[in-house]
Amino acid sequence: MLSRFNIWYLSSFFISLIVVVPILMIFGSFFETTTEYSSILKETFLLDYIFNSLILLLGVLILTSVIGIGCAYLISFYDFPGATFFKWALILSFAVPAYIYSYSLTAFFENFGTAYSLLKGLFGEGNYNNYIPKFDGMIGAIISISFSIFGYVYVLTRASFHYQSQNLIDLGKNLGFSKQKTFLKIILPAARPSIVTGLSLVAMETLSDFGSVSFFGISTLTTGIYNAWITFDDLTLANRLSFYLLIFIFFLFYLENVSRQKAQYHTPSKGGFKTKTKIKLKGYKSIIAFSICALVFCISFIFPVTQMSYWTYLFPKYLIELNLLELLFNTLLLVFLSCFVLILLSFISNYGNRITKSKLLQTLTTFSISGYAMPGVILAVAYISFISFINESLLVNFNIKSFFIGSIFGLVIVYFVRFYSLANNGIKSGYLKINYSIDESAYLLGYSKIKTFKNIHLPFLRNSVFLVIILLSIEIVKELPITLIMRPFNFDTFATTAYTFASQDLLEGAAAPAIILILISSIFILLTSKYILKEQ
Amino acid sequence: MKFWLRIVVIFYMMTNVSIANEVNVFSSRHYDSDIELYKKFTEKTGIKVNVISGKDAALQKRITEEGKDSKADLYVTSDAGRLSLFDKKGMFQNSISSVIKQKVPENLRSENWVAISKRARIFFYSKDRVKQQELKNLRYEDLAKPEWKNRIVVRQSNNIYNLSWVASLISNNGIKETKKWTKGLVNNFARSPKGNDRAQILAVAAGEADLAIANTYYYALMLSGQKGKDQQEAAKKVLPFFPNSNDRGTHINVSGVGILKNSPNPKNAITLIEFLLTKEAQTHIVNNTFEYPIIEGVEPNQLIQDMGNFKQDLNTNVNQYGLYLGEALKIMLQSGWK
Repeated sequence: MLSRFNIWYLSSFFISLIVVVPILMIFGSFFETTTEYSSILKETFLLDYIFNSLILLLGVLILTSVIGIGCAYLISFYDFPGATFFKWALILSFAVPAYIYSYSLTAFFENFGTAYSLLKGLFGEGNYNNYIPKFDGMIGAIISISFSIFGYVYVLTRASFHYQSQNLIDLGKNLGFSKQKTFLKIILPAARPSIVTGLSLVAMETLSDFGSVSFFGISTLTTGIYNAWITFDDLTLANRLSFYLLIFIFFLFYLENVSRQKAQYHTPSKGGFKTKTKIKLKGYKSIIAFSICALVFCISFIFPVTQMSYWTYLFPKYLIELNLLELLFNTLLLVFLSCFVLILLSFISNYGNRITKSKLLQTLTTFSISGYAMPGVILAVAYISFISFINESLLVNFNIKSFFIGSIFGLVIVYFVRFYSLANNGIKSGYLKINYSIDESAYLLGYSKIKTFKNIHLPFLRNSVFLVIILLSIEIVKELPITLIMRPFNFDTFATTAYTFASQDLLEGAAAPAIILILISSIFILLTSKYILKEQ
Repeated sequence: MKFWLRIVVIFYMMTNVSIANEVNVFSSRHYDSDIELYKKFTEKTGIKVNVISGKDAALQKRITEEGKDSKADLYVTSDAGRLSLFDKKGMFQNSISSVIKQKVPENLRSENWVAISKRARIFFYSKDRVKQQELKNLRYEDLAKPEWKNRIVVRQSNNIYNLSWVASLISNNGIKETKKWTKGLVNNFARSPKGNDRAQILAVAAGEADLAIANTYYYALMLSGQKGKDQQEAAKKVLPFFPNSNDRGTHINVSGVGILKNSPNPKNAITLIEFLLTKEAQTHIVNNTFEYPIIEGVEPNQLIQDMGNFKQDLNTNVNQYGLYLGEALKIMLQSGWK
């Protein structure tokens, strides 16, 4: 018993440590002395960085909660034409990375862009540029990020709405509540933990976004750290900015944790769950509900896909010249390896946490979530610095760098650090639904820990695992900054190919790899949509 | 256990496997035409070219941190300021061959790196709204004058082309004068800076401003039709102008390459640089990226030639830009240049 306890404990401890170390490295390395390169920037622009990050965060949180909760509510409680379609169609927005959304937004609305061409085609020559709204800068970034990740709020809120018992709603009715009051006083508060979890994921993705923020040229904490640390070697400024970013992240931790603790009511094992009866909408109300969902679906998915397809159609040579098989192989290889490693280690860590119930472990695991809120490019550079630090500390003159940097292996490690919290939390939320009493009953029946895991936990966790694999796969297919800096020679994915064209100012060329990237992610989503949206 | 062994072996096989006859290029020039060029090089010499492309600063960081274990032979980037800053950190070795030195004019190289192509940062003005008289002897310095109020567009201050451009002004006019100038220039902006160079040219075409500052190849890219018919039409609404032709000449910047300090294949690296400066390679570059050639005897792409001949600023060594990049950013930000 004791030895097993130690193995689980140590392995969980070790896994969490791998994730935490590079993150500590980022902050640790900033306490070194450094050249005062841009003292004036510091005084003048520090506030700008914080302010911009806050505005971006707030904008994205507001937009995603309106869209996410709104759609989830309509689809969970009402029956209207297209409701079944939108239920899964809305998750397709996950397939479009924020940076590709930014490309589409710019391409469509810029001077002499696609919108201009459309208007010209329809109404003939004219100076339409003045009438076409320009979605760039902060607004562009807020829209791009929101429409590519509102799915987190939508999926989690919908799941929570779905599991709400009809009893609750009947209770409201019995109390004489209006529909609006039932929603505000009963449905929404009961779903709050899920909503907060969704929003904290959104917040972390927003803080770590580098692609669309740098595309639109906004000075946020993220771009600030990048410029200060990586471009100017100004560790003092980078240190200060990281400190503020850390405060943001800790606040999100706190929120996430609090909401999770509240969410720890296990699904009742006895009866009492009454399936909801959806209200059938008629007339103009059904048209409104349909229009809202259709609008969100069109803006989030159809719009970028159409823009990219339009270009691919207009400039087919980029598609023809694409080395499809190789890119597909590379992308899927990364997906497969990373998912395998992440799922396996998350299982070990979760199981370790569950049976040891160690507070230290739990804190460490929670801390590892910061990898998700850390911008990928900064995480990758921190990892490279860490490896080079370790290599120099080794007494033996042995080159470990080429093993860890610029190899698939190194790439998978940094993915692991980045996405561990996603994998870990996904499996954790599955575990929370399994009552501890089930474990105890298993032990009483003489099941070993491994057997309990295999025969009892695994079947229960199957859906969670599928969900996690799908989320991870989509993230990895879309991942750009880590792949860009960590990859081996001559190694491209769809994401890096799209980036290469985009940085030549040939978004037209980025369209073909982007559309295939979206296609692959969409297939992943559709394959598992029934698990994401699991009924009952 | 066998299973685990297999996993480890698979991972190990995926780490870098070195082949003897190769050269490793870290590039922040993301042209896919460069890759085609490297393929031509391999066909000729049998030397395989391995490439990692990425964001400039991040690539530099990776090379620096990899230190003596770095496999990188060459670092290619599209800005003289960046090259000279990296050089100052002692990251390049001094092994440029005499063949290379002969081909590249002195102001387009340092001791340790050389230019492989160049571009000019020039004005693009509206045919309808800018009078010929206003253009007479127009210099960069004149853009700060009040007659250009609300008429100028340029991208953000953190853009490296702008930084190197302002650095060249500092190197010619001094910090104090340049600071006065940036203040005047910012006052004349027609809008808050946003978008890339092409977006500035489009803004002039759309009537948002009268004059844009942008690199030459963006204009040619639009004229080439690679950005679609409408942008081709839009480009025709603006005309290029090469400033400072009556004094020091128009500001030029380069894409360049240096051999890294810890290069494992320096000989192959030199062979590759020499190849990049051949007529064949230069012709390939100018026709794909619309840059200007470095060596004599190669003509720029027709679209670029049509923009006209101009007097280049040959007095300002591009290697100087690196000296003033920090100062440039500082005064630009202090002048309110976003």
